[in-house]
Amino acid sequence: MTAPVLEVEDLRVRLRTPRGPADVVNGLSYTVGAGETVAVVGESGSGKSVSVLALLGLLPARVATVTGRAVLQGEDLLTMPPQRLRQVRGPGAGMVFQDPMTSLNPVLTIGRQLVEGIRAHGDVSKQAARGRAAELLREVGLPDPERALDRYPHELSGGMRQRVVIAIALSNSPSLLIADEATTALDVTVQAQIIDLVEKLQDEHGTGVIWITHDLGVVAGIADRVLVMYGGRCVEDGTVDDVLERPAHPYTRGLLGSLPDLAAPVGPDGEVPELTAVPGLPPPPTDLPPGCVFWPRCPVRADPRCETEQPPLAVVSRAAAAGPGGATASGAHAGDGAGLPHRAATWCAEEEVPRG
Amino acid sequence: MFGLVHLVPGDPVRLALGTRFSQESYDALRERSGLDQPLVEQFFGWFGRALTGDLGVSFRSGETVTSQIAERLPATLTLAFASILVALLIAVPLGTVSALRPRSLVDRVATVISQFGISVPDFWMGIVLILVFAGTLGWLPSGGYVPLTEDPGAWLQRLLMPALVTGVVSGSVITRFVRSSVLEALGADHVRTAQAKGLGTRQVFTWHVLRNALLPLVTVTGVQLAYLLSGVVVVEIVFSWPGLGQLALQAVQARDYPVLQGAILLFALVFLVINLVVDLLYSAIDPRIRR
Repeated sequence: MTAPVLEVEDLRVRLRTPRGPADVVNGLSYTVGAGETVAVVGESGSGKSVSVLALLGLLPARVATVTGRAVLQGEDLLTMPPQRLRQVRGPGAGMVFQDPMTSLNPVLTIGRQLVEGIRAHGDVSKQAARGRAAELLREVGLPDPERALDRYPHELSGGMRQRVVIAIALSNSPSLLIADEATTALDVTVQAQIIDLVEKLQDEHGTGVIWITHDLGVVAGIADRVLVMYGGRCVEDGTVDDVLERPAHPYTRGLLGSLPDLAAPVGPDGEVPELTAVPGLPPPPTDLPPGCVFWPRCPVRADPRCETEQPPLAVVSRAAAAGPGGATASGAHAGDGAGLPHRAATWCAEEEVPRG
Repeated sequence: MFGLVHLVPGDPVRLALGTRFSQESYDALRERSGLDQPLVEQFFGWFGRALTGDLGVSFRSGETVTSQIAERLPATLTLAFASILVALLIAVPLGTVSALRPRSLVDRVATVISQFGISVPDFWMGIVLILVFAGTLGWLPSGGYVPLTEDPGAWLQRLLMPALVTGVVSGSVITRFVRSSVLEALGADHVRTAQAKGLGTRQVFTWHVLRNALLPLVTVTGVQLAYLLSGVVVVEIVFSWPGLGQLALQAVQARDYPVLQGAILLFALVFLVINLVVDLLYSAIDPRIRR
């Protein structure tokens, strides 16, 4: 495998809140390779968005303390001077945000918003930047790109706006694209179009992608690897097949179990099987449990250490799942090509139930 | 409005004639000023003439109302625009800085200053300024008005203090608005998009924060300007500034109906015009309002 585009190591984010310090991200480590898509999943409040905003210094400095390392193409984002970070935003990493209705400035034209991003990173004439902007809009599939440049965001639909946001994110050919719930606010057909678009652009440009979502359907469609976040920690990561087909962590299993299964048999009186929810709420980041973050909601609790000790992120595999402490397992799964281990932060991996 | 003016107790003819007069001269003046006619007829007569630009003749001075207003208008315009300039010079930086650092020392100081400006009576502020700058220091004349065309230096000297007083009052109000609208604009999602593009701090601030905070600023500035144009009576009196506020006040005291009606008509027009201008500015600023 070539050198990763992004290498995050022990990322921690602490926010100052009126209710005391909140540990929103607690020691997150992952890598994103060129042309690779890493999906970060987890329910609301698991620290997904904060963890990527922290990378680009987009959290308000007055409230957020970010520690750890995040090396983007050989440079640590977390320690670089603000001026350098500004240069990296755009050409280094582009970002697509959740809500296309609010992530564009309503009082500036689409063209202006694209052009200013292009011109912020190179000595380009207004005319040339405008040409490039139109080209980008064509690339993301906006009809009549020349005319769209003079339009205002409110004149476009949500899906079209999100294409514009993607065009802005791609305008400086970033080596990393971060999509923060980029399709959550869109309806399903538009969602599929946007996902196809990102995949196509990724293939053409070899961009590494971090795709943040809570939609596991999207994950299966787009990701090479999955990272499951809970309580600001990575509780499980691995290839899509490993995590979605053979989830090891009780939380991941709960998450998968709460998906509607269209193939499930319908009862004799037309009754649809009820969805199984994970009971309870994530722990407040101001008051994390001492042991496994999932312990308060965990239906398994097979090991007494769970309550008091944070289980380490350790390699699991189907073979090793027979005994507790999958860390001793012989290594990664073969077959997915990525050659990356399937890891989970749990002592309860042996409870594995193959998903129907 | 017309009815209200006439409802005020007091007889303008009696006031115009002084303490000693004959019944004949009373009746003559009453007839000459049209006050012997029924109120409804008086109104339509006045209204019809007003449409042609004739606002009548002052009971007190015998001059036409239009000439009296025209005489006062430059002073009022000068003071109003100078005040709004002072107000914006105070409000925009102060409001912006406090929005950028909410709950900081700067913000608290700005809050105290603007609360002070809103709550302190303007006549008091005016008197203090006169005592300090005209009295103790002797730098500025204590009042009066000189047209710009006559002597720009004297014009500025006399304008400085009244403009400062009314400017501080309006500026304090506007500061609060600037603070909250900038604060709101700062929190908008598109600001993060702009940052993520790699724009410089200044560019983000000018085009994605200030630009979006402009709309509420225009609204409140319009309201303040309309208020200033309709005459700031107390400040005009303190600084013997011959503006429309003083004219209206004198007209009330003398029950000088034509002048009072003329002034009120003008104030109403000012509000209409400013509202129109503000609406036009809205659509220039916000494309969502444009059609």
